[in-house]
Amino acid sequence: MTAGTAEGIPSVAGNRVYRAGGYVLVQALIALCCVLLLRQSPPEAPARYRLTEAMLVEAGGTQPANLPHHYPSRFTLNDPPLYRLTFERQAGEAGQAWSVFLPRFTNGVEVAVNGAVVLDSRRNPDANRPDRNTPEIASIPAPLLREGANELTVRLFVWGPLTGFLDRLYVGPDEALRPAYSRRAALFLTLPVVFSSWQAILAVILGIMWLKRRHEPAYGILAAAMALGTVQAFVSAPMGQSLFAGLNALLVASAPLESAFVLVFVLLFLGLKPPPYVAAIFIPGLLIVAIGLLGSPDMVRRAYLLLGPPTVGFCLVAVAVVVARSATTRRDAVSLFLGSAITVVMTCWVHDMLSVLNILSDRRIFIARLSYSALLVAIGAGLTWRFASALNEVDSFAGRMVGLVREAEDKLRTSFAREEERARAAALAAERTRLMRDLHDGLGGQLVSIVALSERNGPGGETIGEAARGALRDLRLVIDAMDEIDGDLMLALGSWRERTEARLRPHGIVLDWRVLTPEGLPLHPELRPWQVIQILRLLDEAVTNAVKHAGARRIFVGLETVAPAGEPAYGRITVEDDGHGFVLSPDGESAANAPRSARGLTNMRKRAATCGARLAFASGPAGTRLRLDLPLRFPDAEEPVR
Amino acid sequence: MTSQAVGRSPAGAITVLLVEDDAPTRWRLHDALAAAPEFEVVTAATLAEARAALVAAAPQVLLSDLQLPDGHGSELIRETRQRYPKTEIMVISILGDEESVISAIMVGATGYLLKDAFPTDIAATVRDLVAGHSPISASIARFIVRRTQGQPASAPAPALNTARLTPREIDILWGIAKGFSYADIAEHLGLSRQTVPGHIKNIYRKLEVNTRGEAVFEALQQGLIRL
Repeated sequence: MTAGTAEGIPSVAGNRVYRAGGYVLVQALIALCCVLLLRQSPPEAPARYRLTEAMLVEAGGTQPANLPHHYPSRFTLNDPPLYRLTFERQAGEAGQAWSVFLPRFTNGVEVAVNGAVVLDSRRNPDANRPDRNTPEIASIPAPLLREGANELTVRLFVWGPLTGFLDRLYVGPDEALRPAYSRRAALFLTLPVVFSSWQAILAVILGIMWLKRRHEPAYGILAAAMALGTVQAFVSAPMGQSLFAGLNALLVASAPLESAFVLVFVLLFLGLKPPPYVAAIFIPGLLIVAIGLLGSPDMVRRAYLLLGPPTVGFCLVAVAVVVARSATTRRDAVSLFLGSAITVVMTCWVHDMLSVLNILSDRRIFIARLSYSALLVAIGAGLTWRFASALNEVDSFAGRMVGLVREAEDKLRTSFAREEERARAAALAAERTRLMRDLHDGLGGQLVSIVALSERNGPGGETIGEAARGALRDLRLVIDAMDEIDGDLMLALGSWRERTEARLRPHGIVLDWRVLTPEGLPLHPELRPWQVIQILRLLDEAVTNAVKHAGARRIFVGLETVAPAGEPAYGRITVEDDGHGFVLSPDGESAANAPRSARGLTNMRKRAATCGARLAFASGPAGTRLRLDLPLRFPDAEEPVR
Repeated sequence: MTSQAVGRSPAGAITVLLVEDDAPTRWRLHDALAAAPEFEVVTAATLAEARAALVAAAPQVLLSDLQLPDGHGSELIRETRQRYPKTEIMVISILGDEESVISAIMVGATGYLLKDAFPTDIAATVRDLVAGHSPISASIARFIVRRTQGQPASAPAPALNTARLTPREIDILWGIAKGFSYADIAEHLGLSRQTVPGHIKNIYRKLEVNTRGEAVFEALQQGLIRL
């Protein structure tokens, strides 16, 4: 191992410690912020209507009690403690409607003014739920009120798992108390409902996602947690009816079950494989449900007190640890965000626990459930976000795929075109072979016979033999031109040279064939067989002119690539003879003195024009020179002849 | 005719067996060769006649048409090549097309003769052949080099095995296909001009299919031999 890597390892470990420290610091800051926020007092009514001094009447006697008052005794539904308070009503306030406002109590109250009951919170299912910080307000019917001192009695019903609690009361003009009540109701009643609605919607969405994507159980787990939370939030069981004890148990047990679901979800969400024993985390919650279904409400409460908080606490700690590890190792925003949210929930939960145990002397406002709902909503939103991002990724992936497919298609198309080209070439070759065989067996044989017979006829047959040879030559030319030469005109000219040499030899004419530039003529991939035929015929005609009309002894054919400065290179074929030439007419178009060769020249010009080539003649007593400049690119179709 | 196995007659003449079914063409070729004093020509119009002549004596040169009334000339070429390896064989072709020439080369021919060639050219070609100069046309050379390039086996063309050709031989074929003279080719490739014809004969030999079964199978496969 080199020194470099040896140094690298501690530095990585150091990095990790550094990161973990940073993470803990951030979480501590968040927790601190939470604590500061929690110290804010919830909305209060004007202090002058506040009642704090009460007489507590219970089985053991009467004693003064200052509100807020914790009532420590156990389950006492049948003989609830009674708080007796007095308040003054001024004469001048007769016209105003008065109300009694109870910001916080656990678990139920029956409020009477001057002996007449104005409020029984047990009839309000929301108020029966100790985890909601339900405030109550009741208007006091005007006839009940007396000028001067009035008596207010509050009967406090207490059932587990919480001890009794009665916060300070307010009695006063309705308009003075109602704003505080409304704010509290919005905070502790409406907001949870809003959260729960979101949860319900997200439960449905996530459930559908899970149904369509079974291989991602994280969605299903979270949907289950949310559904359970929604049921817990919206289904309220009337108090004290043993018929619904089971349902009650379920609601009570929802917290341990939900926290277990959240733990499993977080494991799956972070891509960790949940160990098999993680199922054990569901046991306490299920146990409470079982007890609730079979046993009495009292047993449920005892079981819950015993199993619930530890389970929830364990799950929260486990989630916090898992997320913290993920955040420090992966350093991704999602883990950090999740970790921060868990820290908030944990802080709130600790606050609630301290409050339940009366360690933290405050207004007994529970916010763990609220923060948990907010957490779930945040997670749901995050998942939706992630889902949308995944969709975007799919889109861009699809875009990439479309690009790839297009590329592949193009390749396929070109290869198809190539294949077509090959097939065309093969068909052409096959056709040529067939044609050749036919010509060979039929026409060719006949022509050869004519040549042979004409020779036996002596001098008289010479013309016939010449004509037959011409026909054979033409046949070879056509067949040759049909061969695939891949645009290399040199290949076609190679055969032409042989044929021409054989043709000139009996006349004693020398063919001086020269390739003037090393590569000869340039390649023309667009060259078609009919263009090859035109060029070969043109050259044939030039040779014929030289042999028949000019009386040449020597014919020079030069092939070259001409590259003028700054212009693209093109091919040039030069044919020169040492015959006596002919006089061109003044316009240079035709031979003035030889009608036959005139026709030949026009023909050659036509042939050159159809191929887009330029043809130039120069003729004089010392011979004739023909210069054929090939086009840069042969035309696809025949060029119209001028 | 003499009964000597292979070789010149005592007079130093080159014995030629000419197999051609078309009478005017046969006469013509015969006259063209017989006009030269060094040729001693025996003619045959059918495969059977040709075989009979071969039994009598081994000619120094065999000139054979391919389409014969009682069979295919390639049969005769192959038989002769096996029995008399020293006999020079040429195929008589009407057009000098690659189909007939290549299929003859594959069974042992080392050149071709055009039926309408001028009499002087006919004699000269045969003389060259005996001197070890195999003629090759640009189109045949083109056909062979295109095969070395792995051109699609378009058309029912002979299945040429060009794998044994050396790069130099392929270069020579390219030069011929493009109409370069032997002198040009020799200069380009740094050869002596005289060695080029020998290379061409080597090329023909390398393209020959060696066993009878192989040749017949290939020919049948390619539809060259119409039985």
